[in-house]
Amino acid sequence: MSIEIKWVSYDVVVVGSGGAGAQAASAASEQGARVLLVSKDPLGASDTKISEGLATVRESGSDDDIEEVLSENVKLAGGDLPIKKLTDTFSKYSKEAYDKYRENGLRPSINKAKNRPQSLPLAMGGHNRNRSVGHENHGVAFGHANWDAIIKEKNIDYLEDAWFLDLVVDKSSEDSKSIIVGGLVYDASKGVILAIKTPSVIIAAGGLSTLFFPKTDTMRGNTGDSYAVALRAGADLVDMEQLQFLPFCLASPPSYEGLLAGEPSTASYLGVLRDKNGKIILNGVHLRTRAACSEAIMRAVEDGRGSPNGGAFLDMTANKELPKSGPYFMKYLQDSLPTAYINARQALGKEAAKVETAWEVRPGAHYMMGGIRVNDEGQSVGGEHEGSVKYGITGLYAAGQAMGGLFGANRLGSTSLTELAVFGNRSGIAAAKHALNNKFKVSQVIFDKYINEYSKLFGQKGTISSNSLRELLQKESWKNIGPVRTAEGIEKMEILIKDIKSKLTNISIPNYFLWNQSFLDYVELKNMLFSAQLIGLAAKERNGSIGGHVRLDAKNISIFSKPYSTVVNKNNNSYLVKKLNRTRTPLKNLIYYKILEKKRLFEARILSVLPRSMKDKKLEKKYKDIMSANGKAPEIMPGGTDGAIGETTSP
Amino acid sequence: MNKNIHSIEVNIVTVRDGEEKVVTYTYNKREEKEKPMALDVLMQAQSSVIPDLAFRFGCRARNCGVCTIDINDRPRVACRARVKNGDKLSAIATLPVLSDLVVRRDGIARQMRGLKTSAQGNDLNVEAPEVYHDLTACIECYACLDKCPMHSRNFEDKLPGEVKDSLPNASEGYIHGNPFSLLKLERLRNDPLTSEQGKNIAIKKAIDLGLDACLDCPGCKCGVGIDLKNKVIKPLLEAAKNNL
Ligand SMILES: Cc1cc2nc3c(=O)[nH]c(=O)nc-3n(C[C@H](O)[C@H](O)[C@H](O)COP(=O)(O)OP(=O)(O)OC[C@H]3O[C@@H](n4cnc5c(N)ncnc54)[C@H](O)[C@@H]3O)c2cc1C
Ligand code: SF4
Ligand code: SF4
Ligand code: FES
Repeated sequence: MSIEIKWVSYDVVVVGSGGAGAQAASAASEQGARVLLVSKDPLGASDTKISEGLATVRESGSDDDIEEVLSENVKLAGGDLPIKKLTDTFSKYSKEAYDKYRENGLRPSINKAKNRPQSLPLAMGGHNRNRSVGHENHGVAFGHANWDAIIKEKNIDYLEDAWFLDLVVDKSSEDSKSIIVGGLVYDASKGVILAIKTPSVIIAAGGLSTLFFPKTDTMRGNTGDSYAVALRAGADLVDMEQLQFLPFCLASPPSYEGLLAGEPSTASYLGVLRDKNGKIILNGVHLRTRAACSEAIMRAVEDGRGSPNGGAFLDMTANKELPKSGPYFMKYLQDSLPTAYINARQALGKEAAKVETAWEVRPGAHYMMGGIRVNDEGQSVGGEHEGSVKYGITGLYAAGQAMGGLFGANRLGSTSLTELAVFGNRSGIAAAKHALNNKFKVSQVIFDKYINEYSKLFGQKGTISSNSLRELLQKESWKNIGPVRTAEGIEKMEILIKDIKSKLTNISIPNYFLWNQSFLDYVELKNMLFSAQLIGLAAKERNGSIGGHVRLDAKNISIFSKPYSTVVNKNNNSYLVKKLNRTRTPLKNLIYYKILEKKRLFEARILSVLPRSMKDKKLEKKYKDIMSANGKAPEIMPGGTDGAIGETTSP
Repeated sequence: MNKNIHSIEVNIVTVRDGEEKVVTYTYNKREEKEKPMALDVLMQAQSSVIPDLAFRFGCRARNCGVCTIDINDRPRVACRARVKNGDKLSAIATLPVLSDLVVRRDGIARQMRGLKTSAQGNDLNVEAPEVYHDLTACIECYACLDKCPMHSRNFEDKLPGEVKDSLPNASEGYIHGNPFSLLKLERLRNDPLTSEQGKNIAIKKAIDLGLDACLDCPGCKCGVGIDLKNKVIKPLLEAAKNNL
């Protein structure tokens, strides 16, 4: 017996029910399109729902927050890799896109005098204006808004427990252009495969951090499906080596592994990193970039001087010990990144929570900046420069973490939730228009090869399980394409990927159809393999360090050098990798930033050599200054650049 | 009984292709004083003796709400519920099992489909009352379905496992309600942007879902501590009192 194939047709198919998916579905349906949204997790369960819930809303904090200012801010933070057209679009539509969440029940505090959402009191996460809006219940509030957006519309059909497997592409047109004609979905809760005829598919299936599990704070479902599906369809992927790692995630106990414990700046003025012998491996932690912190930790691990769980010790006790400033430090630590502090307290115990002992930490994967190469309407593009739809895949759209080109080498805190709405909306509208203008008949024959490929997996005989291979892949990905990389490691990874791929046919999958876990594990393993391959290919092309990871065997890429992006594409069985030049921000802005950075490092050095009592007094004053009138420290954002002061790239 | 201080024995109820089996799994503690969460046990079981064990999880931090299972027949959020020797882990009993610890959740959310009441005002710059945020704290873990007589009506006043051959069609959304759906409705009623008409739609929906069941029910309990009795059920009963 083989699995039942159910044929359906829609104008637009949306993959994912996080912020990007929900916004895209709702925008497409408003255009009058018949929409099907599929989500492998229960409706709304996504990174969006578990986020800190901070969203960038231009002009929420100050009237001078004009479009150019925000756009340049995002571009510079990304090391000039971001495409200006995309940062402009993000900036221009950030307010109205944010309002889409509000139309579905997101309720921020209101600044009554200005009649607008109340931004947090400080410019955060490397932002050059205060424009981050916080929400009660954090990401859960966004989860509700997205859920409501999908549920309330009668003309959005949706399925949860439904895994999007592959895009169905027609390559037979005369100009040899690839055209989307449909997609395949495994509906696990009914035990059927859906063959969907559709001219428009929006990929909003999130990131790939599960490739590094358990060294990540993101949702389990981040198995790189977005990228793998697009790659197999022949789409371009951009900046795939650019992953954001947070250096200070928990290394134990198992239940807390990977969750955030702190950021460089929460280590405060006297925090240092130590190896297992107590030797300092990095001082001045609060002024270092995330990459520098990750590098110090991972170098110690490679040298065999790592902590028991493959990390290092974040020692903040010197802050705490000082009689006058110590209590202020504790308050700062607890207030500035509350969720991280709670994680650490629960995981590491009372003594650690009082900072009487050092914390064992290790980097963790957080966000993929790269992704499907798109234009300002989320439409797949190819070719040179910013790319053109002429060389992209017709009918393919992407939004959210799935898309690339907007954030380059580093993403400012709180920009993701806004981006979901901006590009979710725009891709929804564009995809609906495309569908409504292109009603064509699709022959079922094109689907045959896809249906055959997946349905024959049920009942595949074999001797290994996907999960054993997955664990191997995760371990090796961490070592070779994680926060620290070498050319040698990347090559080792290529060989491993090939090896695991050759074993796929030996994975045992029983022949039943309702929620077949082995089938699901197989599909996700395959997607993780393609994602790992993408990172490796792009990382090889990027022969230097920029952004959130470090190349141990190559130099740092200076912000003054000519910026470029990497692009990877798959054509039949060969991979093409290339560099694309990007425009650099004016020199005078860059120089200004460099001077600021030097000044901060110099001041820190002076402070660290002062006698104890003077140090204490000076620090007490510093804490008083940063804690606002109500004695509370400003909240900082995980992933934001004020979390790692050394990364502040905005003049 | 297991006496080894380095391990914990846990009974995991697996279900494959409709067939139920209890597997006794020995969890190896990674450190002596480790008190593992249920999710740790499931993950270790999966990476050792039951490689295709099916269970849901997402955030591992009690945020996403998908990992709920029964521990000794009581619903718990698996990523933040500790287990001890002899505990039984099974799928939540209040929804039909798909495989092992995975249940079909779909019938709940779907009963709210097409309910268009929100954002009928046009000024978005209004402050929501505190109770609105209290209700928004719901992570949709479905722990509150436990012992809810209204929800049981979907299964002839029994549990889904007891009426296997006459399960309602989840794809159409369950007919009878539950604390979660009522919370969603009460949340709508507290949204300052919901119009009077919208509020009436919400009340009518609550009555249609079987709000009368709440009249003589001791009340429901939320997995993350939302005061459902006072913040959801009471106000709904009050608003609907002339129509029940
Ligand atoms: C702990 C944490 C805190 C964060 N805090 C913030 C913050 O404060 N501000 C901010 O701006 N950003 C923050 N971020 C980042 C932000 O949350 C994410 O980047 C963003 O939510 C991604 O949204 P998305 O819609 O692209 O993907 P997601 O929200 O991850 O949704 C992906 C969806 O796709 C589905 N899916 C995946 N694969 C498939 C498939 N094959 N078939 C069907 N469905 C599939 C999933 O089930 C899910 O529904 C944070 C992230 C984390 C992890
Ligand atoms: S009301 Fe409470 S128990 Fe019920 S779904 Fe929401 S969070 Fe879970
Ligand atoms: S009070 Fe109502 S919703 Fe709550 S358990 Fe009782 S019947 Fe169910
Ligand atoms: S895994 Fe998200 S709530 Fe348990």
